[in-house]
Amino acid sequence: MSKKSSPRFRFVFAAALLVLLALLVPALREGDQRLYLLAAGVTGAMLLCMIIPARLFSLDRLILSIALYLGAVGIISLATTNPDAALMQLLRCSAGVVALIIGAMVIRIISPSMLTAGISSFLGLLLLAGSLLVQDLPFPFTEAALILMVISFSSLLSCYGGAAALLPGIIGTVLLLLQGMTVEASVLALTVLLLLWAADGKIGLVLAALAVFAAIFFGAAHFGYLPAFIPGEEHALSLSTLVSSGLFGSETVTDLQNSALPASSLVYLLSENYGLVFTGLTLFLYLPLMLRGTSVAGSARARFHAVLALGCVLIFSLRIPASLLSAFGVLPLPLNPLPLLTDSLPDLAAQMLTLGLLCGISSVNETNLAEDAHLAMLAK
Amino acid sequence: MFSVSPEIYKVITQASRYLFAFFALMLLLFALSWLYDERRKRRERLRYLPEAGNIGEMVVISGSDQLPVDTWFPIPREGILGSLRSCDLVVPCPGVHARHLAFSWQDGTGLIIKPFPGCETFVDGVSLITAVKSEMPVMVHGSCLQVGSAVLRLQLLSALEHTNRPFTVTAPEPFLPFTDPPAQEYRPDQPNPMNQPLIGNPADGLSQQESQNALDPAVVSVIPEEHLPVQQTAPRRKRADRWKEDFSE
Repeated sequence: MSKKSSPRFRFVFAAALLVLLALLVPALREGDQRLYLLAAGVTGAMLLCMIIPARLFSLDRLILSIALYLGAVGIISLATTNPDAALMQLLRCSAGVVALIIGAMVIRIISPSMLTAGISSFLGLLLLAGSLLVQDLPFPFTEAALILMVISFSSLLSCYGGAAALLPGIIGTVLLLLQGMTVEASVLALTVLLLLWAADGKIGLVLAALAVFAAIFFGAAHFGYLPAFIPGEEHALSLSTLVSSGLFGSETVTDLQNSALPASSLVYLLSENYGLVFTGLTLFLYLPLMLRGTSVAGSARARFHAVLALGCVLIFSLRIPASLLSAFGVLPLPLNPLPLLTDSLPDLAAQMLTLGLLCGISSVNETNLAEDAHLAMLAK
Repeated sequence: MFSVSPEIYKVITQASRYLFAFFALMLLLFALSWLYDERRKRRERLRYLPEAGNIGEMVVISGSDQLPVDTWFPIPREGILGSLRSCDLVVPCPGVHARHLAFSWQDGTGLIIKPFPGCETFVDGVSLITAVKSEMPVMVHGSCLQVGSAVLRLQLLSALEHTNRPFTVTAPEPFLPFTDPPAQEYRPDQPNPMNQPLIGNPADGLSQQESQNALDPAVVSVIPEEHLPVQQTAPRRKRADRWKEDFSE
């Protein structure tokens, strides 16, 4: 009697097969040794990560699998044109997996307290102020700073209420606006407001916070810190790049060399080489990731975990529509890379850390549920 | 390393472009079905664990017309108590503010109560407004919380680990050969077992077994009818049942 395979097995098998084939096809062209190495290495590493760390650290399999697959898609997009860059991306993804595991472990250590809030606020604001003072910083730490701000906000909200939690969020938004990072500042402000509304529930405080953020953005526009929202040449170029290869990609391999587009974004390369259908379907995988994150937040027992999980989901997912709408030229916002489809190591590591925090909270939820099952068994 | 001729490679590339799109579609469907499957499993699991996420319950000792005695609330690990429906514990009684107090469970300590400013709250008769911070009482199994005109008693799932009441463990009685129990004559001056509370509370020293013995037909049959209790204790009412009634209205 045959047993029906589980959705997890089907997803993992299909993802591994797709990554293997996508890396083997360009390898067949010239018999490039590096591409064969990548095909074996990426597929093997994906399968190993889905088995060993997932079991060792009780990680959420769905979040981990989608994160690993999106990381592998980034490698695939580079492999067709630049195998060396693809090898470097493999190393970056490995560092990202380490960050994900660290995130899952950190959640078991930290608890909502003044110490947690103080350390995370200090580090977050330090990173933001550092990038403001040192203009030509080699690595952008904005993503990491945003995560630290969310940890600080969750801790303060759980311990001291919404009014206390607002302060670091306001300072962070101001620092981001001073650097001209409109999208990041909007993401942080929206996250803080939505979390305040969801977790604290005091409409007076939410309206007051909304008024403060509106005043900050109005002030930034008044003093010339907000860039002019006019669709530029890069928006037209971005749209033409995304649709140039048609639905299923062009026959010739394209190496994207355009300084107007964000260098770290891999979605253009993906669309150029594999077409709009493959790219669109891959980007739709953010949907189950977000839904899973929301479900983790909803199942959390402690308010700190619930707020933190929701904050991670918001920080991660609010960037997606902003990036996509600007890439398609709908919104005249600065072009930004999509989460996990970037070749910037700090951004990738911070995004993996966010997913690691979600995995950790999911693991805590599972432990709590297992304890309840044990209690119920004893009660019988 | 192994490579193919340009003609074959062209065919493979062309086929792979459609194949990869198909694979991406399948991956999306598998991910969504995985998500759905996990949700279904979790729902099924929670159906068998109705107390999941709760640390115990609050039983109403004294309430109001809207909150009858013996109504019980499941208590989450942390939340807000107040008279608003959006609160985690809704206590619609005179003297209870819209958002009266915040509570949170601490393993090994008990239920910590933090009243909002101006909200008078008592735990086991001690006012939390006037209590010194270091001597702030914590609710454990059997503790009574007074907010406004409502008095609620906490009953924990992990009762034995969180109580300030002594539990005496009695040694099992030695085995005696079975003999018929001596016939007992009913005397009206003796306390009537049926007047005792039916639900045993460990703190009261009346176990559930004793409560069941009180309903034994053999015992009841020897009690004259005029001494039988006129009205039994009202059945336990969950607060959620009351909501259902409200919504149906």
